[in-house]
Amino acid sequence: MSTGAASVPAAATSRRISLRTRLSNPWGRPRFLALTTWLYILWSLLPVLLAIRFAFNEGRSRTSLQGWSLRWFWQDGTLSVYHDPTLQAALRHSLTLAAIVMVIATPLGTALALGMRRWHGHGSGVANIVLLLPLVTPELVFAVGMFLLFTTAFGFIGLGTLAQAIGQVTFTLSWVVLIVRGRLVTIGRDVEEAAADLGAPPMHVVGRVLVPLLVPAMLASLLVSFALSIDDFVVAQYLASGADTTTVPMRIYSQARGGPTPALNALATIMLVVSLLALVLAYVVYRALTRGEQQRGTAFEQLATMEAR
Amino acid sequence: MMDGTRQGDIRLVGLVKRYHDVTAVDGIDLEVPPGEFFTLLGPSGCGKTTTLRVVAGFERPDEGQILLDGEDMSHTPPHKRRVNTVFQSYALFPHKSVADNIGFGLRYQRVTKDETRRKVQEACAMVRLQGLEHRRPGQLSGGQQQRVALARALVLEPPVLLLDEPLGALDARLRLDLQVELKRIQEQLEVTFIYVTHDQDEALTMSDRVAVMRGGDIEQCGEPRELYESPATAFVANFLGASNLVPVSVAESNGGGARLGMGSFSLRAETCALGPGADAVAMIRPENVRLEAHGADGENRVPGMVEEVVYLGFHQEVRVRLATGTLVKVDVPNEDGAVEREQGDPVSVHMPPKHLRVLAADDAVPAAPTAAAVEQVPAA
Repeated sequence: MSTGAASVPAAATSRRISLRTRLSNPWGRPRFLALTTWLYILWSLLPVLLAIRFAFNEGRSRTSLQGWSLRWFWQDGTLSVYHDPTLQAALRHSLTLAAIVMVIATPLGTALALGMRRWHGHGSGVANIVLLLPLVTPELVFAVGMFLLFTTAFGFIGLGTLAQAIGQVTFTLSWVVLIVRGRLVTIGRDVEEAAADLGAPPMHVVGRVLVPLLVPAMLASLLVSFALSIDDFVVAQYLASGADTTTVPMRIYSQARGGPTPALNALATIMLVVSLLALVLAYVVYRALTRGEQQRGTAFEQLATMEAR
Repeated sequence: MMDGTRQGDIRLVGLVKRYHDVTAVDGIDLEVPPGEFFTLLGPSGCGKTTTLRVVAGFERPDEGQILLDGEDMSHTPPHKRRVNTVFQSYALFPHKSVADNIGFGLRYQRVTKDETRRKVQEACAMVRLQGLEHRRPGQLSGGQQQRVALARALVLEPPVLLLDEPLGALDARLRLDLQVELKRIQEQLEVTFIYVTHDQDEALTMSDRVAVMRGGDIEQCGEPRELYESPATAFVANFLGASNLVPVSVAESNGGGARLGMGSFSLRAETCALGPGADAVAMIRPENVRLEAHGADGENRVPGMVEEVVYLGFHQEVRVRLATGTLVKVDVPNEDGAVEREQGDPVSVHMPPKHLRVLAADDAVPAAPTAAAVEQVPAA
């Protein structure tokens, strides 16, 4: 508090000086940063909160507030998510597709990551890049390409759930590889060598050491591929074959032009809750599994960085 | 097999390991008899760890053989080799308890469950880990983790144990304790230890024999005392313990002794393998240099001036600038009646002929720092 002492003699100007020094005081709290951060968080949450609020609207409007109710979830006999067969089908299809995608992408991506770790020869560098290409390829380009593939060269597959699943697994795989490889780096080579040194044949090195240590990463991968699949609009849209392969984002998009009701908000809210539950579950299990490991940061930070990798 | 009973005889024959155009191990020949505590010592990048990894089977040699009890195992995969490794990073399995870590390898030795439990217990007792069997590695201290790593390897009763800087990550005090314990365990089990370290103290205190490595090859191999007292090269002298390397030229050399020129002074050495005219360094350990009163007469005495006195507890290191400009370190024990030296004191430095070793000059090994001749020192 050296500013106080300095400004005592000139009482009249003390206020101005202290304000200026307070703003430029290097030891002060970063108020401006905190303010900006909070403003951003509020701004980014606002549309979500608004959408959730209208899911509980009593009236039919999606623009003016009309009391509270659970009408759009199940109380309305025809238009609620529970009673509208198209919304229910979309929800069911989205969840089914996400389940298929995560169950295929996670083991496949883990195997790929393990393979990439062993492969040091020619072409491994190129393969590394190609494997991560879907992360930066525009989704639309990818979806159009997939569409052409399934309607021509791989016409026997055709459009529909299988095509949607293959398409989503293809771009989700990059994320899984990224997550698993991140964890492999922290596991290090030496535990593999130690296991081999103690007599474990290669299959046991994977089964008794690597896979148990990869469980947290695989869990994160399940979650991420689930979330990516649920979020996906472009690929699902292009590879859909009809009403029974409509996902929630597709339904919301198409109905937004017709007669939209707060039931769409209710549907979106359900998806949000499902995603959040998946996140919490992954966090809890991850924490339980990595208990006792010497690691930096909280379990949640690790999970977050894993997903960011 | 050597004699059919003692196992653990390791021989390396012309071992070469290259990474692209870098030769990490450059034709090593080595013989380690059963039950020996053998140390590979050297600075980082000298190829000692690569040698160990080749023996363990993690790397494949480009040339040469690795013979264990006379049998070449250079093409045997690591999980089938009868050697075990203790890693610098411990490499414990974080998801398994201490007991499961130690018992990991027993599964591949067709051991019954009861037998496994008994062996794990024994191994725990040997490395003093009783009571911690159910902890996870993350709940143990560094020293305890190192003990688990050791027990995990020893429980398999390998004829040869490879240790890659096992004490490298521990603090100084713990290192000393574990050094003693490692030696005790090695003698008790009579296992061949191949120990890699860059720490000369570790190498000297524990080993039966030490190989000093440099640039992928063995510079000198022998018992610690032999290496310390009669190093074959300036590199070994410099790496093992403190040494003064005084640049000299060989004036005369006959069979045993030699006369050396150091500026305008002349020194006598009792042994010398180099011929006359060679550029050489005279090596003398700081504890063998004597400080005498200024003006003392006799052979191998050179006047100098105390430049610095460093207090090191049980002794002091006195750095003396010789009249020729060379800086010489002298160890003076701190005992009653010792003459206190101070900066600026003129002294006479006595380098006894029997302690002077004449070694070939080596560009890569820095000799004692030399300044312009000190003029303030009055001629003796």
